[in-house]
Amino acid sequence: MSKTPVRVGLIVPSSNVTVETEMPRILARAPGTEFTFHSSRMRMKAVSPEQIRAMNAQRERCVMELGDAGVDVMLYACLVAIMSTGLGAHRDAEMGVAEQLSLGGSEAKVLSSAGALISGLQALGARRIALVTPYMRPLAQQVVDYIEAEGFEVADWRALEVADNAEVGRIPGERVMAAARSLDLAGVDVLVISACVQMPSLDLVQTAEDEFGIPVISAATAGAYSILRTIGASVDIPGAGSLLLADASVVAS
Amino acid sequence: MTRLYVLEVPENEGFVEVAAADPVITVDKVGPYFRLSADDDIVIDRRATGARHAVWYSAVAGLENSVITQQDKNALRVQRR
Amino acid sequence: MTDELEIVPKADHRVMGVDHAAFPTFDPAGTVRFYRDVLRFPVVHSICAAGWGPDKHPDFIHFFFDIGNDDRIAFFYYFGLKPYGDQTAPGDSWARLDHDTPQFFTNSRHLAIHVVDEEDLLEYRKRLDDSEWPVEMQVMHETIESIYTHDPNGYMIEITRALRPVTPQEDLDAAITIDALIDIAEGEDPSMDKLLERKAQLIVERAEAWERAQQHELAPEPVLVP
Repeated sequence: MSKTPVRVGLIVPSSNVTVETEMPRILARAPGTEFTFHSSRMRMKAVSPEQIRAMNAQRERCVMELGDAGVDVMLYACLVAIMSTGLGAHRDAEMGVAEQLSLGGSEAKVLSSAGALISGLQALGARRIALVTPYMRPLAQQVVDYIEAEGFEVADWRALEVADNAEVGRIPGERVMAAARSLDLAGVDVLVISACVQMPSLDLVQTAEDEFGIPVISAATAGAYSILRTIGASVDIPGAGSLLLADASVVAS
Repeated sequence: MTRLYVLEVPENEGFVEVAAADPVITVDKVGPYFRLSADDDIVIDRRATGARHAVWYSAVAGLENSVITQQDKNALRVQRR
Repeated sequence: MTDELEIVPKADHRVMGVDHAAFPTFDPAGTVRFYRDVLRFPVVHSICAAGWGPDKHPDFIHFFFDIGNDDRIAFFYYFGLKPYGDQTAPGDSWARLDHDTPQFFTNSRHLAIHVVDEEDLLEYRKRLDDSEWPVEMQVMHETIESIYTHDPNGYMIEITRALRPVTPQEDLDAAITIDALIDIAEGEDPSMDKLLERKAQLIVERAEAWERAQQHELAPEPVLVP
């Protein structure tokens, strides 16, 4: 633990509280690496197309702020902001942030929760998935279309239809689990218990995996997975779903 | 023998026509170039060619045992080296 | 064998033109007026960044104008940075030269932007003439016609049109010129006279190959009888 800590920059919507809670909790359990967390906020209260557009316009400022902090890796932690701007948009967004950073000589790695979710699904070899989202139906449909355009079949999904982002941060775990239980999981490889970094779900991931008997991920566990992979650390965190056990020496059967 | 080469492009047409009309100059083709040969000096009057400034000063592509002794707004003169 | 896909090797010459040419500016407002408002080149991209690397530099904006063909001209504006060098000397925002530097050398480095015809060239001439940066020169070269001006940063900008397409014999002539140039540039006292002498030798050497290639090129074509 004498190594220099890895500085993680989080770009979050101003009303988000969950990603700054869950990400440190997950990564604190990563063996051999210490992490510090630094966030920059984009103003956004309601998850509406207008507010998402206004929020995306603040991205450059956030990148500048975290660039000043000399972070090693930066996570753009608003999945719907990216997925609702067009298919494959996480590539452009990550590229834009990377260009901004590299132009100023920063070597920070760039991730987005949207891209991380896709990478997590790919890492699990998922083909047919199911999904729980907190969004209003039109936005949820955009997220579903986005994921399908990345080559996954979304067999079933639920939208909890909470527009106020602060309220999304208070959705009780029981409500998320109830939505998950109502899904038709026949033939589903992977369940995304929360496609949103604001909907609290970290404590549900292992529980759901045990209950449904298939790998379960959330936007947060997928983000943690991508951060570990990006900095070249081993992925071996028990109790948060099988994705975070990718490098575990003995996989529990 | 005085000898020079001029590339065959539309801009050089006037130049070559003036040379061909001069009984002391023999014009033949070598690859895509016109070869202008004469026993004595080769003199081309710029105004007769109608060549624009930039064309005039870039018309000569090669010199064989010859040297340019005059190239100005009035004329081009090439002599045996 | 016929079922196998034919593998077409990639061409040797693979680059695709100018992505962007970038310059520093100390006059972002003038630069935007010149490129966006006068020439009406759309602003297509901008990046706000800071110097995070070992070579710390001030906060800056990198902004881009479309110059057609998906190519771009780009500028860096560094907040609080003062121009380098003696600002009364010849040169531009990138560099100032010695006071006795002749104008042809100062102007030798420039960006030339292509237009398709005379109408378009004259349209840009009009836009510039109506602005703070009128056309300084309009020149008919061998095969192109160009207008020139200096932008607010002192960079020379040329807008040019081709008078006709470049012919195969001009490609050959260019190849011969460059080969002759290399031969004489490495020798003593390179001069135009030596270049033209060397070129004459290469012209004669390569004439036969050229004529053979031309015959080959023409052979399969049907002969037109008037």
